[in-house]
Amino acid sequence: METLFALATKVVAQLQSATLGFLIGGMVIAALGTRLQIPNAIYQFIVFMLLMAIGLEGGMEIRDANLVEMILPAISAVVLGLVAVLLGLVTLARLPGIKTDDALATAGLFGAVSSSTLAAGMAALDESNVPYEGWVPALYPFMDTPALILAIVLATVLRARASGEAAERVRVWPIVKESLQGGALTALLLGLALGLITRPEAVYESFYHPLFRGLLSVLMLVMGMEAYARLHELRRVAQWYAVYALFAPLVNGFLGFGLGYLAHVATGFSPGGVVLLAVIASSNSDISGPPTLRAGIPTANPSAFIGASTSIGTPVAIALGIPLFIGLAEVVF
Amino acid sequence: MFYDVKKVVIITEKLIRDGVLKIVEAAGATGYTVHETGGKGSRGIRSEERPHVVEAFFNVQVDVIATEAVARQIAEEVAATYFTNYSGITYVQDVEILRPAKFEHHT
Repeated sequence: METLFALATKVVAQLQSATLGFLIGGMVIAALGTRLQIPNAIYQFIVFMLLMAIGLEGGMEIRDANLVEMILPAISAVVLGLVAVLLGLVTLARLPGIKTDDALATAGLFGAVSSSTLAAGMAALDESNVPYEGWVPALYPFMDTPALILAIVLATVLRARASGEAAERVRVWPIVKESLQGGALTALLLGLALGLITRPEAVYESFYHPLFRGLLSVLMLVMGMEAYARLHELRRVAQWYAVYALFAPLVNGFLGFGLGYLAHVATGFSPGGVVLLAVIASSNSDISGPPTLRAGIPTANPSAFIGASTSIGTPVAIALGIPLFIGLAEVVF
Repeated sequence: MFYDVKKVVIITEKLIRDGVLKIVEAAGATGYTVHETGGKGSRGIRSEERPHVVEAFFNVQVDVIATEAVARQIAEEVAATYFTNYSGITYVQDVEILRPAKFEHHT
């Protein structure tokens, strides 16, 4: 009981974070019909800046990191991406009135990773003074790409089975390429490479790092406004998507926390790292995942999977998931 | 001197732009114009005004000037290939052009 109370106190303290305030503020002003507009080009630039900063920091840390410590968290990331899709297949896809293709596309998005949620999680950990290994954000593609591939492969195979035809062979390489070519992952990977190979300390300290939090606040505002704007799409599809979008981020996040905890016990993965792994697991792709899935599962209804992810999944992961995982870590560790 | 030819217009998701352009070129058109655009249709409003978290869901409009046979082939092939799963419309219009040689293939 006392533990629960301690957890509740920590979670409430996290709810006062500015990051969350901007997200909710964005939803509120969108609901009130604001004419405020953040140009698309600025949004794209912010995503680049945040992911470049995350990549640079990760690359610089990997230089000095013990690579053996990264193995278990990396395997956990792959497992979490795959399990999220399979969980969607055995839960969402079985619900009445849900098409398997739509369910798999939705589960694929929820298994994939959101850079905005990742950045928000890092900012929240910094605010709480919880340290984590700088390479943890580099686990992003280890979870993102397998989830998207599994969702597309399963959808193709199941569709072929339903129609009684032999399944066309799914070519996996184009999906990998498409997923890695997405704007967010490109910036992250480039940042990692530059951090590893060059000495970007000066530009990181003077430019990318100081801007991180400010840019994140604008991104949160955009995500909040977008979440509200997309709610009407969700109204046109079965309510089960809303239910799934409410629970999937938390379930996936707790699985991530569990696997991260095992890595903590086995190879000394830091508590902050465990939280960040949980945040990545609970996040759902909002930038690069949707076009990949739309192209890979063209029969799936984008209103279902984008509405569920952007309108409910992302706010849940940021507003409930992050405070919950940080609070849990403070109680557990 | 004006010549009567056709213009086929395809308004669809940016995501499949490259596929549409392949069909356009394979059909024998010598060029095309692509605009980013937005509007309202049976699958909802797509506007350019607010930042889209997903840029690939913008709409594009592809204009192609071609002979009647080529224009109709493009419209039918695009509709058959994509419009079951992707949103889009296509239509063929009469237009008058100068310099018809620009629109003929030189092989």
